[in-house]
Amino acid sequence: MAAAKPDPAPDFFATSRAGVADAELRRKLENSTGRHLDHVAQMRAEFPPYDAERDAARAIKEDAIGRLDQLLIELKHQLEANGCTVFIAADAAEARDYILKVARQAGARRVVKGKSMATEEIALNPALEAAGLEVVETDLGEYIVQLRRERPSHIITPAIHLSKEDIGQLFADKLGIPYSAEPATLTAAARDRLRGIFLAADMGITGVNFAVAETGTLVLVENEGNGRLSSTLPETFIAVMGIEKVIPRLADVPHFLEILARTGTGQKLTTYTNFISGPRRKGEADGPGAMHVVMLDNGRSTMLADPVLREALYCLRCGACLNVCPVYRRIGGHAYNSVYPGPIGSIVSPNLFGSAAAQLPFASTLCGACRDICPVKIDIPRILLHLRWKEGQATPPIKWPADARRARAGVARFARMARHPRTMRLLTRAAAIFARPFAHDGYLKRMPGAFRNWTRWGRDFPAPRFRRRKHVP
Amino acid sequence: MTAFHKLIANVKTALERAPRPAEPGHAADGGAAMPVAGDLRRTELIAQFARELAAVGGVFLGALTADQARPRIVALARELGAKAAACGAGVTMDLAPLARALEQSGVAMTRADRKSVADRAAYRDRLAQADLGIVEAHAAIAATGTLAVVGAADRPNSLTLLPPANLILVHADRVMPDLAAAVAALGTATFVTNRVALITGPSRTADIEKMIVLGVHGPKQLYAIAVWPAEGAR
Amino acid sequence: MTEVRLFATCLAEQFFPSVVDAAALVLERMKIKVRPLKSAFCCGQAPFNEGLREPALELARRFLNSCEPGTPVVIPSGSCTSMVKIFYSDLLAEEPALAARAAAIRPWLFEFSQFIVNVMRVKYVGARFDRTVAYHPACHLTRELGVVDEPRVLLGQVEGLRLVDFRNPEECCGFGGLFSVKLPHISAAMVEDKIVRLKECGAQAVVANDCGCLMQIGGAIHRQGLAIETFHLAEVLAAR
Repeated sequence: MAAAKPDPAPDFFATSRAGVADAELRRKLENSTGRHLDHVAQMRAEFPPYDAERDAARAIKEDAIGRLDQLLIELKHQLEANGCTVFIAADAAEARDYILKVARQAGARRVVKGKSMATEEIALNPALEAAGLEVVETDLGEYIVQLRRERPSHIITPAIHLSKEDIGQLFADKLGIPYSAEPATLTAAARDRLRGIFLAADMGITGVNFAVAETGTLVLVENEGNGRLSSTLPETFIAVMGIEKVIPRLADVPHFLEILARTGTGQKLTTYTNFISGPRRKGEADGPGAMHVVMLDNGRSTMLADPVLREALYCLRCGACLNVCPVYRRIGGHAYNSVYPGPIGSIVSPNLFGSAAAQLPFASTLCGACRDICPVKIDIPRILLHLRWKEGQATPPIKWPADARRARAGVARFARMARHPRTMRLLTRAAAIFARPFAHDGYLKRMPGAFRNWTRWGRDFPAPRFRRRKHVP
Repeated sequence: MTAFHKLIANVKTALERAPRPAEPGHAADGGAAMPVAGDLRRTELIAQFARELAAVGGVFLGALTADQARPRIVALARELGAKAAACGAGVTMDLAPLARALEQSGVAMTRADRKSVADRAAYRDRLAQADLGIVEAHAAIAATGTLAVVGAADRPNSLTLLPPANLILVHADRVMPDLAAAVAALGTATFVTNRVALITGPSRTADIEKMIVLGVHGPKQLYAIAVWPAEGAR
Repeated sequence: MTEVRLFATCLAEQFFPSVVDAAALVLERMKIKVRPLKSAFCCGQAPFNEGLREPALELARRFLNSCEPGTPVVIPSGSCTSMVKIFYSDLLAEEPALAARAAAIRPWLFEFSQFIVNVMRVKYVGARFDRTVAYHPACHLTRELGVVDEPRVLLGQVEGLRLVDFRNPEECCGFGGLFSVKLPHISAAMVEDKIVRLKECGAQAVVANDCGCLMQIGGAIHRQGLAIETFHLAEVLAAR
């Protein structure tokens, strides 16, 4: 249900059109992302070492990804020494099967989940539910989208596409509380409902923000306390991490924490930063009796092998690139038909979900706002360009609507002709003469062929011009 | 093991497509020595900590000696209308006199001694019923208003999770300037053997229209006291 | 006397020839000899951005063979300048000879405002332009080339010109080359929101350094029948 598998026939064109047409959605996105960007700007201004910390964090990631094999060996060894069970999942199916096996062996029936994009990626919830387990998302935003049987539309703010009124109505319908659009009231209602579920749960599943190889410590960053509860109360705890989450040393962690919250949520530090190295020790009152760590490859080693795409593995999943992206802000996360939307989603989704997501690298103007805000300065536009080239050569070819195909062919034709400047200038002159009768003070109201989508969508097109002047021969 | 070897082999092959960066030298870990700041610096750090804590919705009750702190905490329990409270073992101080003072004022206390903790389910239920959880942090971070709480058998993690209000004490000498200093001061060994929670304000969310609401799953109220050593104690 | 080559760019040649004239005029008034760079028509960005690297490569070859290290090339577009200065290194990764040529030419390439302010060290060009103006910072100009202050410095010295701020000026106008027709609904939504913000600020004219932005913003303004004009920076600096 909530965590969806990639749509069998996702059509980015259709879903993004629906996003753009939803004025209410665009207003909500503008409000929420705008508020976030203001906070981030303030944080950056108040913290002079911000940029130096970004460079430091990026350097650590470069180093860590550059010797990922060694660090994974060290991490696994340390986690096992700390009493954890480590499982290596080559793909989503292996990860799901293992988690199901653990649940069965533990006799688990009720699962509480902390926010985790990795478990969304492997579509864990439907698998657990199919096996008869009760699965409850406990992050407030995730809980909301789970109640709506939707997937999150943002990697940090899952319910960003909903207004407080939407959520008020949802809670009135599903939780049977009197309607209220007051965030505090709604939050309290969710807390009450979930507290009992936490106390009764026998298995907790969360993601991982950083995994420290040196000490075998998982770092879990959150604001609500649900991640702490999910990893503390249930008897069995499973942490699911992408293999790229490993960092060498504990002393590296502060560099990331100094920038992660500042960029991701506009805070200096999130409310809770949890360092978890193993299960409950003898004599302790809480903590899980058994702790499992699932290390997930699921295409990451393929990204690693691509020298350009490799940089995408530095991603901290802070979500800031979504908020700053002018495309995301117009269409919302669901339009991407992927667990990972926005700029970072457009570079990791094709690798994860194959041809179904091959159009996404084209869903950008390459404006570079994402790279500017990225806490580890991932050059997303460059990776998008790389993927456009790579995906363009893939077989089967990307499925484009006819107009998009025509535009693509048009630019190829233009490129061939533009090798001959004199011909181009003659053609420009011919086009200018031909267009003259159709122009209204220099603009054309309707364009043919590849350009017809320009004038169909709210814009007049400048009429071609040609003047025999010194500088344009 | 074969799956792991296969993954490592995959990763190795992938890495070989591009040159591997030189391995940086590992700096030796400083370890658990707590640097003690001078009096003036200490006061500055506590003031900054108090400011930052307030900015994230926490309440700083002051830099007090242990003798001053006890009645203040008893008064806090009364202000909160707390009927039951839970308390973990101290780090630098003995919290038993505080627990006794609270008991004398009519608050039912749950201690985290071996006997109470042995029945884990019963202990958890008592924590879930407690109105106030009290612990001593290993360190505080001035730059962010953060308290570093190290879980242990006699200081269960749930103390700072289940009760709706928390009071966290920190020794005045243990207010560190920043995150890096705090992590270094705790030392790697602590992180291997104990759960560490960096707590920065009350539990909160911004999941509804990015508007901040305090008190989601964790405590809604967070109080802190910097405990000043008594005259002549240093 | 300094001599420069002026690369018109394909968009300006086809749709905004007055921009090229204006750029040349501004430079000539600074006692610079301006020679048009006629043997190239396009830098190859449009096919490159679509992932069509082979056709882009041929255009890059043509462009690079038209330039000579030692003579500055001035381009009235942040986007085309960043294509040559920055993106060519990826495009030419497997063409060492051409990559070497690009590296030799790179220091001699300048975006129009960059050249005037940083090379000629000129801020005041003797222009007069009696309008309230909003400056739209083009994405590649700002984020790839790092040209942030130069256009504002030049506009600040224009007599009669009042520069006004508008909300979120750095957000992309939605042009993005082929993006504007392949994903026209998103592109149109982006410019629609930009125009809402431009209307709020009371500007009589919008100024940008890129013909792509001018096509997009100007086209949407014209469709909406608004009384806001669009100009390239060169046109403003050429006005007297």
